[in-house]
Amino acid sequence: MSFIKKLSVVTISTILSAGIAQAADPTPGDWFNAGRQAVVNAKNLTPYNTKAKNVILFVGDGMGISTITASRIYDGQSKGGKGEENSLVFEYAPYLALSKTYSVDQQTPDSAPTMPAMVTGIKTIGDSLSVDQYVAHSEPNASVVDTHKLTTILEQAKLNGLSAGIVSTARITHATPAATYAHTANRDWEADSNRDAGATVPDIAAQLVDFNITGGMDVALGGGRTYFLPNTVTDPEYGVAGKRKDGRNLTTDWLKKTNSKYVWNKADFDAIDPNATDHLLGLFEPSHVHYEADRIAHDKAGEPSLTDMTTKAIDILKKNPNGYFLMVEGGRIDHAHHSGNAFRALTETQQLSAAVLAAVQKTSPKDTLIIVTADHSHVFTIGGYPQRGNPILGLTQGVGAKTPDLDMLGLPYTTLNYANGTGYTGASNAQAAGSKSFNAAAGAWASGSEGHNPTSYTPANGRPTLTNALVQDSNYLQEAIVPLNSETHGGEDVAIFAYGPQAHLFHGVMEQNVIYHVMSEALGFAK
Amino acid sequence: MKITNFFKLLFSLVIFGFSVPSYSDNDNQQSTEVACRYETKVTPHNKSKKPSVNAWYFWRSSHMIQTQDTNGDRGEIWLRTNNDSVQYRKLYISDKTAVEYMPADMPTNNMDFNWDKLSNMLSQSELDSMKLVKKTHAMNRNAQVYKGKIGAQSIEVTWLMEEKLPASIIKKDKIETIELHLVEIEPLSVATQKPLAIEEISNYRHIDATDFGDMEHDPFVEKIMAENGDHHHH
Repeated sequence: MSFIKKLSVVTISTILSAGIAQAADPTPGDWFNAGRQAVVNAKNLTPYNTKAKNVILFVGDGMGISTITASRIYDGQSKGGKGEENSLVFEYAPYLALSKTYSVDQQTPDSAPTMPAMVTGIKTIGDSLSVDQYVAHSEPNASVVDTHKLTTILEQAKLNGLSAGIVSTARITHATPAATYAHTANRDWEADSNRDAGATVPDIAAQLVDFNITGGMDVALGGGRTYFLPNTVTDPEYGVAGKRKDGRNLTTDWLKKTNSKYVWNKADFDAIDPNATDHLLGLFEPSHVHYEADRIAHDKAGEPSLTDMTTKAIDILKKNPNGYFLMVEGGRIDHAHHSGNAFRALTETQQLSAAVLAAVQKTSPKDTLIIVTADHSHVFTIGGYPQRGNPILGLTQGVGAKTPDLDMLGLPYTTLNYANGTGYTGASNAQAAGSKSFNAAAGAWASGSEGHNPTSYTPANGRPTLTNALVQDSNYLQEAIVPLNSETHGGEDVAIFAYGPQAHLFHGVMEQNVIYHVMSEALGFAK
Repeated sequence: MKITNFFKLLFSLVIFGFSVPSYSDNDNQQSTEVACRYETKVTPHNKSKKPSVNAWYFWRSSHMIQTQDTNGDRGEIWLRTNNDSVQYRKLYISDKTAVEYMPADMPTNNMDFNWDKLSNMLSQSELDSMKLVKKTHAMNRNAQVYKGKIGAQSIEVTWLMEEKLPASIIKKDKIETIELHLVEIEPLSVATQKPLAIEEISNYRHIDATDFGDMEHDPFVEKIMAENGDHHHH
């Protein structure tokens, strides 16, 4: 019996909710037996060397390995355990590899060239979406871009009679989802108004709705509503104007597809009958959707979670007997890290894990290849010598210690930190010297800021005195060594987790573009 | 001092120690449409430091507040939408670029734009928390002088009653004196210096502030991050 068969969804759920190691301190015998069992499981692991009917590619944007580890611990601690022994759902995947994320021209990449590597099999240059490295940045000429465009796995799926969908917590026109269906040399050309004057390359939102291979895109769920609305139409939730100058209302254009629906709030989303809907466009915010940590409390009209969207997408796509390709992005892990706020990065990762669980529950490893990976990492670190079970967001406190550990200035410090970013403790033009907050102090804002977005700093004088109450607050920005307006991506490898047919082809340290080739092999597209 | 910094200063000045006004403070009282020019002066009490002066425009209509440095390069705009949301954008005029702060991110960041406070700079409840000292005239208009203290800071406001705007705000503490003075005021319809038209702003390039972290190679983003001299090109 294969590992996957043994590790049924029920088992996974049980482990997640009431893991043995969480329930009691394991004895030496428990450790030994658990270790031995892992080897037995590995010996029994039988690859599914068959063709995949479906492929689901999960991308945690910016979900580096330190993010996974910290999220695993946070998740375990939020369930009452010590945390370290916990596993996120996708960590149960039997096959694992490391992915080298550099692009043709970037040692540390942005999200634009990494996703084309994953969905076309070819690395390209920064800011480009599914065009090769020989097209100049912001190339305006559609025929030039067309010459250099790279066919994506989603397009191949449609050409082969499969259904296709994309789900994201970012704008559905943002780099990661866009790379699956759009071809452009500027990732920021999301609406026609974003393009350079005279550009004939279609904007990304138009490319999504005008995508016409075998009936077009089947499911697109995420944010970015204003990129689909003309500037003569106001947003139904907030009243802001649409961004399109060409007069097109792409949400109504979408409805020209057969059995199509467009929704923008949770009530309408919940009312969608997957059996009666073949093409679903859901745009739940003018730009990116809410962070999971803020979604329920703050969304005006209500919006579905990443798990809700993933579930609905699968229910619609699975009607196709030929199978489907689905890309799901946890897009705001990256945004939280850029803001220097570990809490939101970890809770976003928790939600991605829940979405993977939903996908595992709705599919069979016999016919569905599920891949969970990241496009790049962040400069996010887990350090010090905290004792087992120490709150992952808290101050480092060593084994047996009654108080937090102190640095050489006599000051406590946190386990989680950033190498650079907005948590630098010198005074900024936006916040006073000392610890920084994701939120402006209540009432102290005037002209608005997204988190803490400084444009200048003065050098820090030593370090602030931290307390557990302060650093475990959801809005605390972990200390950063190098002061920057925005925390940066990290250049180290990221993980690839895989279940299902051909998942065993992921092994060792691989180039990021190999992900496409495994999917292509699994779906039988490889020549 | 940029407008942004000025407003932060101004609002922190008027907020600390005052109750947060409710949205309905002046809800039923339509503010007049005006065009104003203000000057701010920050005078450090340490005489080795020089005073700084900044001039800026303030325009108010029923659904729009707009500010702009008098050199015309930077501004801000708040638009009240038809469902009482507030859309806020920073304007980089020479770059023809607007940086947007999206509604979804405002509650997360404890941003709760109060139209009353935005359009009048001070709310009635804030004025009421100070002592009315005398009635006077300023800019040939009826005015009231209020005084109060915020901790160790003293504050004096000369308030234009009809226009519901400050003619002056003077704040003093041990470190510096900050003065805001209204220099010109006229009806918006006849103003010589007009705000940017909404249509013109709609033609600007728009960037969601959340996306800055993914736009480090964008020339505009590089420029505004570097402009205060703390970003070193490499």
